[in-house]
Amino acid sequence: MADGTMTLEMIQASQGGLKALGAGLAVGLTGIATGVAEMGIGSAAVGAVAEDKDIFGLALLLTVIPETIVIFGLVVALLLLF
Amino acid sequence: MFQQVPIPNETGPASKAIQTYEARIAALRDEIAANSVKLEENRKKYSGFLLACDELLTTDVTKAEAPLRFATTEQSFVAEGWVPVNEVGPLTEAINKVTGGKCFVTEIPVDSEHDSVPVEYDNPSVARPTQLIIDIYARPRYSEIDPTLLVAFIFPLFFGIILGDVGYGLMLLVVALVLRRMFKRGDGAQLVNILMIFAISAIIFGFLYSEFLGFSMGYHPLIFSRHMNIGGEGGEGAAIPGLLVLAIWIGIIQITLGRALGMINHARMDHGSHRTKAVLANLGWLLVMWGILVAIWSYFAIPYMPDLMNTPVIAAGLNLSAILGILMLVIGVIFIARENVLDVFELPTIISHVLSYARLVAVGLSSVAIAMVVNYISIGMIIEPQLENLSVVGIIIIMIGAFIFIVGHIGNAALGLIGGALQSLRLQYVEFFTKFYKGGGKKYNPFGIKRRFTEE
Repeated sequence: MADGTMTLEMIQASQGGLKALGAGLAVGLTGIATGVAEMGIGSAAVGAVAEDKDIFGLALLLTVIPETIVIFGLVVALLLLF
Repeated sequence: MFQQVPIPNETGPASKAIQTYEARIAALRDEIAANSVKLEENRKKYSGFLLACDELLTTDVTKAEAPLRFATTEQSFVAEGWVPVNEVGPLTEAINKVTGGKCFVTEIPVDSEHDSVPVEYDNPSVARPTQLIIDIYARPRYSEIDPTLLVAFIFPLFFGIILGDVGYGLMLLVVALVLRRMFKRGDGAQLVNILMIFAISAIIFGFLYSEFLGFSMGYHPLIFSRHMNIGGEGGEGAAIPGLLVLAIWIGIIQITLGRALGMINHARMDHGSHRTKAVLANLGWLLVMWGILVAIWSYFAIPYMPDLMNTPVIAAGLNLSAILGILMLVIGVIFIARENVLDVFELPTIISHVLSYARLVAVGLSSVAIAMVVNYISIGMIIEPQLENLSVVGIIIIMIGAFIFIVGHIGNAALGLIGGALQSLRLQYVEFFTKFYKGGGKKYNPFGIKRRFTEE
């Protein structure tokens, strides 16, 4: 690779590819993290709401707190790509 | 569990006994069937009458028991109850008419601190379906601002921004019109009304986005383009930065609105020194958010947002707007800390809540992407190559392609409905309501009967 056969186009293309890869990782990994985090909260929240319907609002609030992670991942991905 | 089965005391061969018993079982089965048919007939014949009787008698019992709830003497009785404000006049008139003026009706002032006042909504009919959505979260308290009207406007607006496709909007409209015949009253009918408003909003935004089932409608989008360019196929490419900034602006506006309502709510509901602190804390959250924004604007030029990079430099490389932003931030933090120091740790939620509105773009783009992929697979990959040289097998393959097209778009419409509704609902519940809305009011349950089976 270092023998001078690499052209500017190749470098740019691989840069673009790595960017896309990074964006994909940012969304994918944060999505997994959010899912794992919401798993426990969500099941507990559904159980709590089944006991007392009035706390739906609070239960939803607690459940979606980890969604911040994937939103940050999304923003990072979009910033990488555009 | 075991049960003792004694050997029957009979004579003769076993096979014969089995036959008789089987015949008896069959006869009994027939009888059961005949009886259930009869039961069904009777149910059809008398159920209406019986339900009406039950309702009538329950009403009679309630009426008869009503005096027990009142304080009575030999000559008089006292009745007390909650009535919606706008019904006080008609009710007074009605009571006077019925009793021939032999009663005294008066209105006792509401003590909103000690009385737990039941709450009834008072909204124009457009916003009435949304009351269901507010009730799922919590009914407003008596002195609280009722957010129904705002949500009735914002919720479909967000849905339209997310789905924004004429084709899907029309599909949802058809579904809503069909469902409307099935649900005549109650919560179901309200949900159908919400669905209909959603569909109309999606159609309006579909025209703005110039989208029909993922295709362009032949003109440039009136607002930011969502025609993605997937692998060289499709439109000019989505205007991601514009869309993102639009979503962020929506977030900033809604959060500002929420905080402003929070200030009003605290001013109306709290007392003493806590009241000032709570109002100022809400102002503090606003100041911190706008302070961060002003500080960002003074260093970075962001499209479709004010550019404050050219304000005069004051000191240490900080320009006027940066200093202003930092000042707002510091004052805001002080206001927040005065109410509750622990709230300072919540400061990062300002950023996460504003950025959360990016989902308006993200979810919408994903549904456009699915629509375009469905179009590409069914038309670009399956139907078009076959159309070039038609054959008998080709026609079957074209039918398969059409099937994929229809199923794909129905599935995507369902996904878009669920995704769009849930995401925009979440923005109301989590990002908007947490700023001002507590809820927890008691539902107003008027004294009287609901006639379902009987008529006057």
